[in-house]
Amino acid sequence: MIVTRGLTKRYGKTVAVDGLSFTVPSGVVTGFLGPNGSGKSTTMRMIMGLDVPDAGAATVNGLLYDELRWPLREVGALLDAKAFHPGRTARQHLRWLAKSNEIPEGRVDEVLDIVGLTSVADQRAGKFSLGMGQRLGIAGALLGDPGVLLFDEPVNGLDPEGIRWARYLLRDLAAEGRTVLVSSHLISEMALTAERLVVIGRGTLIAETSVEDFSAQHQSEAVRVVTPTPQLMVTALSKAGARPTVSEDGGIVVTGVPSARIGEIAARASLTLHELTPIRASLEDAFMELTSDSVEYRSRERELVPAR
Amino acid sequence: MTIALSLPATTPAAREGRVGFRQAVAAEVSKLASLRSTKLLLGITVLGTMLVTFLSTNGAAHHARQWYQGFGWDPTNQAMAGLAIGSLALGVLGVLAISGEYGSGTMRSSLAAVPRRETLFAAKATVVGLFTLVVGEILSFVAFFFGQAILSTGVAPTAHLGQPGVLRAVVLTGAFLSLFALLGLGLGLIIRHTAGAIATFAGVTLLAPILLQTIAGHPAKYTPAIIFAQSVAAVVPQGNQLSATIGFVLMVLYTVAALAVGAVVLIKRDA
Repeated sequence: MIVTRGLTKRYGKTVAVDGLSFTVPSGVVTGFLGPNGSGKSTTMRMIMGLDVPDAGAATVNGLLYDELRWPLREVGALLDAKAFHPGRTARQHLRWLAKSNEIPEGRVDEVLDIVGLTSVADQRAGKFSLGMGQRLGIAGALLGDPGVLLFDEPVNGLDPEGIRWARYLLRDLAAEGRTVLVSSHLISEMALTAERLVVIGRGTLIAETSVEDFSAQHQSEAVRVVTPTPQLMVTALSKAGARPTVSEDGGIVVTGVPSARIGEIAARASLTLHELTPIRASLEDAFMELTSDSVEYRSRERELVPAR
Repeated sequence: MTIALSLPATTPAAREGRVGFRQAVAAEVSKLASLRSTKLLLGITVLGTMLVTFLSTNGAAHHARQWYQGFGWDPTNQAMAGLAIGSLALGVLGVLAISGEYGSGTMRSSLAAVPRRETLFAAKATVVGLFTLVVGEILSFVAFFFGQAILSTGVAPTAHLGQPGVLRAVVLTGAFLSLFALLGLGLGLIIRHTAGAIATFAGVTLLAPILLQTIAGHPAKYTPAIIFAQSVAAVVPQGNQLSATIGFVLMVLYTVAALAVGAVVLIKRDA
């Protein structure tokens, strides 16, 4: 179990993480979500003891990271990108890690096999692709067979097969009763992998919930209506308490009432319907909306439209 | 697709023992031995040292007999000339032992494995120090005997270990190489970037003596490179230089200072 309480980190005047408290239980995959620059990596670095918090604390199984007796046998971590020397082979990298925590040498070959790097075990890691580097990082995390695992953007650079593999791996690790915290800025990925979510923005907690509840709370149902008489339709819908908005293509997007009710309203007003389609706002939309105030680096879409 | 993890779901973490100095040393030995740069720098050190010692002694072996009298001919020092190469290469090895970790991100793995930074520091300094001490002593003795062998092809008077001060010069010269490596390690800990740390090391060892030469009172004699060449590796005392003992102690102080600052930076600053 990972617990953070009032975790705070400042870099000069910028507050990277601001009084962050959350709990990561064992047995399920917990997704750690937030836009780029929201403080996910900094939080993970503080859990690992790499950065010292300005206030608050993070504990793993009730202990600060540097109090762990055999850290690699209790916590496995894949932190942002590469954490190995390009001049060493994959096997050499894992070997010195194993020595540091008295992990049997045989385990090196086992984890190389688990991540599928056996055939390139004696190649220098500097020649690895991003995806192979991620796999080596995952091998390092699994080396001590730890009960707690932290993965910072593990699917970065993996190909579709690798992404699927990582997804199953994370779920299997959790199913074995381990604590698994996975950061990502893609909620669609987390929806497929995680059961619980910790959502942060600008270093503060936005939501700590299950994926199911998150979807139920933040996904709004809407219905798209196409009719030859949009003006009359909007009036009728408004009278009935729905919230219609006319979209650019002439269709109407209605929220607040289910599609069956819209059909009834149209029938009562004797209006023709050409289309009546329920649309579901994606989880992504919900996530964007939730974190819209806390996005650090926003792209300005309009500038991409060529001037007329 | 299923993944066989092939180990029991949760192996309880070992209750007894903990990661300490011994484990950290084992990891550091494994790290140092598996780096290509270690082998490369060792190769440069050995070949470079022997080449320069050959050139230095071969050039000095064939003067007329009178040439060797009256100015303090020092066959030991002549043979030690090649170790200047060793001092540079092993200093770079010391820098890379730590800056390579910061540059590649290995530092994150190192601290994940050995989170107590004072333990990590002690292990790294011990391994780099002892390894370069052994290399330095072997190199120093080999250079000495090799140099005397070359000198004896000519008419030059040669030295042997039984003569006063000769054994001391050879032993301290070997140990001095280890101090260069630890000075590099200290600078690497403070600066963290390979290029910056190597530039600083080169500045201290190569540039400082040249710059200080122009200043009255010969302050250059306090720089590591001059102590190395003129005090520690010398048997025949040279005018206006530090004695071997004072020079060696001064270099130990420089090294300890660099390591102490480096240790504080490692412990206090975010990785």
